Amino acid sequence: MIPLLNWFRRRSLERGLDRELQYHFDRRVADLSASGIPEAEARRRVAAEIGLAQVREEVRDVWLTRWFRDFLYDLRFSARSFLRSPGFTAVTLLSLALGIGATTAIYSLVDQVILHALPIKDPASFVLVDWEGDHVVGGFGSWNLMSYPICRDLQQQTRFFDGVLCRAEIDVNLAAGGDPKPVAAEIVSGSYFSVLGVGPALGRVIEEPDDAAPGAGPVVVLSYSFWQAQFGGALDVIGRKVLINNHPMTVVGVAAAGFGGVDVGAVPALWLPASMYAEALPGAEDLLNSPSRWMQILARLRPDLSTEQAQAGLLPWFRPWLEENARRPGFPVMDADTRRHYLASSLSLTPAPQGHSPLRRSLSEPLWVLFAATGVLLGLACLNVAGLFLARGSARGREIGTRLALGASRGRIGRQLLTDSLLLAVAGGVLGAALAPLAIRGLIAFLPLDLATTALRSSLSFRLLSFAFFASVAAGLLSGLAPAFHTRGDSVVSSLRERAGTGFGGVRLRKCIVTLQVAFSLILVIGAALFVRTLSSLLAKGPGFDTTSLVSFSLEPLKNGYSAADSNRLIERIHEAIRALPVTRDSGLARNELLTGGSWRNGVTILTDRRFTTDRGVDLNAVSPGFFATLNVRLLAGRDFDQHDSPPNGGPDPLCAIVNEAFVKRYLNGRDPLGVRIGVGSGPNVKPDIPIVGVVTDFNYRGLRAQTEQAFFLISDKNEDFGASFYVKLRGTPEQSFQAIRNVVRNVDPQLPILGLHTVEEQVSRSLNTERMLAALSGSFGVLALLLSLIGLYGVMSFVVTRRTREIGIRLALGATGASAIRLVLRDAVVMIAAGIAIALPCVAALGKLVQSQLFGVTATDSATVAAAALVLAAGALVAAFIPACRASNVNPTDALRLE
Amino acid sequence: MPSPRFPIPQGTLDMLILQILSLEPAHGYGIAQRLEQISRSVVQVNQGSLYPALHRLQQKGWLRAEWKQSETGREAKFYSLTHAGRRQLAVEKNSWARLSGAVKLIFEEGSR
Repeated sequence: MIPLLNWFRRRSLERGLDRELQYHFDRRVADLSASGIPEAEARRRVAAEIGLAQVREEVRDVWLTRWFRDFLYDLRFSARSFLRSPGFTAVTLLSLALGIGATTAIYSLVDQVILHALPIKDPASFVLVDWEGDHVVGGFGSWNLMSYPICRDLQQQTRFFDGVLCRAEIDVNLAAGGDPKPVAAEIVSGSYFSVLGVGPALGRVIEEPDDAAPGAGPVVVLSYSFWQAQFGGALDVIGRKVLINNHPMTVVGVAAAGFGGVDVGAVPALWLPASMYAEALPGAEDLLNSPSRWMQILARLRPDLSTEQAQAGLLPWFRPWLEENARRPGFPVMDADTRRHYLASSLSLTPAPQGHSPLRRSLSEPLWVLFAATGVLLGLACLNVAGLFLARGSARGREIGTRLALGASRGRIGRQLLTDSLLLAVAGGVLGAALAPLAIRGLIAFLPLDLATTALRSSLSFRLLSFAFFASVAAGLLSGLAPAFHTRGDSVVSSLRERAGTGFGGVRLRKCIVTLQVAFSLILVIGAALFVRTLSSLLAKGPGFDTTSLVSFSLEPLKNGYSAADSNRLIERIHEAIRALPVTRDSGLARNELLTGGSWRNGVTILTDRRFTTDRGVDLNAVSPGFFATLNVRLLAGRDFDQHDSPPNGGPDPLCAIVNEAFVKRYLNGRDPLGVRIGVGSGPNVKPDIPIVGVVTDFNYRGLRAQTEQAFFLISDKNEDFGASFYVKLRGTPEQSFQAIRNVVRNVDPQLPILGLHTVEEQVSRSLNTERMLAALSGSFGVLALLLSLIGLYGVMSFVVTRRTREIGIRLALGATGASAIRLVLRDAVVMIAAGIAIALPCVAALGKLVQSQLFGVTATDSATVAAAALVLAAGALVAAFIPACRASNVNPTDALRLE
Repeated sequence: MPSPRFPIPQGTLDMLILQILSLEPAHGYGIAQRLEQISRSVVQVNQGSLYPALHRLQQKGWLRAEWKQSETGREAKFYSLTHAGRRQLAVEKNSWARLSGAVKLIFEEGSR
């Protein structure tokens, strides 16, 4: 530390030393003169006695310590030599900045989405409690779903846990004075805040009494950022009455700043206690006692236990619990086989310091892929810089030889070369870190909008800066090591004897580097080609229905206080009004929106000449008559629903069903599907009594990749869920009709929020966000990599040509043709390119397995793609090598021989 | 021609400086003169090596320095001992005594 301080005040130190030495000098001269020596002679003698220059140097060594001074000298020397060759400096700096900037940007997302622990007390002790085995019971939500009763019972297991919480992510309508607006919320157990160790910023958080009995806690805790944004940070927000789904509740507090729930992908605006499930999730069954799965359970493991120990320890308790759970009202009837599977279930605990996140599930693989790609890119940039350094090193061969001859140690010179690359890398890192926030903002733009605005930041954190710093230092060491070691091998004599046109110092190393670069960039180019093909084949395939001039939006009247029957009547009224609009060509309703990643899914029991159940979930939906026509989905057999299909009041459940082609192919192959009876559910008590009346072509329901078996029923007040998505086929451009649609809804109920009014094309494109991100980024990485390796190849080839000018000149003088000179040089390049490709191909085969799940319509080792990528690379590389080769063929023999 | 004065052993210069300054604060030239007097015709101290040593001791916190008027009326940099410096001097004196005692013992043993 002291050397650094001294360095900053070195000017005043120098002045002090000068004065001090001057005093000594003058006094000594005066004393000597006094003893009779002439003044001139005295001065000479004193100067020799003290050795002023030597003393100054030694004192400076004391101030700054030796190595630090050497380092400063090296730094100054490096900076000067870089400034002397601005072209070289700019190219290396830019390639390093690009590499470091890209890596830092991707790392920022990796960090935020995957690695970052929750901002809570001791996140390392958190585990996610999940079910292993057959749940039997259905559920709703994303992943790792558990029931509320099991969370309650786990809280008694204090031998293993220091607290257990459960939570679910929901949307509610919030009215605070004005019109109700949909907001994201988290519905949580009373233990939630205390187990997490998160306190209030204002008022109080949700506590156990709020969750003691159904309806016990009509209270709301706001998130800090929502409080700031929507309530302007008003202190009198505590005690304010708000409406949640049209039910009055009281704001009791604001959670601590910076806390955004346990899911990085879904930042809630507010928290509600689970006791208010009836108000928060209108139309739901008795969720506090039913075995239905809808929440995630997180627990704080006791510090003296491992997850395995706790898992094993819970088993004796869990076995009888399973029996008890099966007796709960609402538990489905099981046959003997299912029962055996159910009773074999166990609980699994996985460490969850980062909380629970479906986002992490969907994004972590693409992000790691991209992170690996940027790593390769950074490696490429380092190789490029190493190559350039080697080139410069051999140009500086004589300088280094001279320094060695004058007594510099090899270590000292290696250190100088390392300082060169470190200085450059750190400068590149600073530039890269400056670019990173821009790049991160660009990256976030590829992600779903709601996520981008709430959950992820594009600012540089300390962690990110330290990452960038380490990346730069690593890059500096990597790119400097090769040249530094290279000098070790040189003998003083040979490097001094070396002249232009003889010796081949560093060429072999540089060729290896270029070969590696070719390999690296081929890997990236192939990756890019695969992801681009994935995106284009998904886009070309489309969702399987006609999206032109199709818009969609959803309504959830239940959240505005409507009863189920009223909600259905309201939706019918709005649908009629929309149909009457002059811009409407066609329209249909569906219970569940398409292409959102989710679906209503259940096993189906089929009755043909025998009774059997589907071996996997069938995606179910309830639609209105005319829905298929609106989407231009063809009816392959039978008929569409019509008004006569709706069951009379109090009548039976759905009267008929329509299934898709995939369903017929999987379960009814070779049999006439019309008239076959099905029932929803797979238990022995399910009655398969719904006849199939039609078959439609396949189209995508959950997402563009999923080809699933589907079954449709007529939308009616018999379905479990009571919202609806409207699909409207319009005349003219969709955007102009948005206002007309809004007016229709507003005329019927001005307070009803319209959810997600957009064109279906937009929805399709949004559902391809991840694919687009992968294609765009890997594409640009591929182009960058190609560019870097071509520059590298060009550099080494020009170098070789310059080195061999004499030799080529002699050959030409002896009668070789220009073409043979070109061949001579190109042969080198072809060997490097071929070797690079040979290295890359097995790597691609190995890496292919890792990315296969991200691909669509193409395998990771698709020969056409690989061949095309290799061809592009080889062609580009040959062009890059051809330019110096041409120069070689134009060598004038006389000039070449004179060159010395 | 062998020098009548032998060069100061490595490491003892610091101890001598501390010893001189333990009597009274002094500037560089003063210390040099004192060294000359003390070690006249026995130990040879390079005038130049005095300053790096002074700065090293100051950086270690054993000396403090201030600019004061000297006996000639000109400003000079006066060094004085800090508490740490005084402690260090005691340590060095002690270890020097032990070392020289041990060396003496060995020599006596040899001559017996």
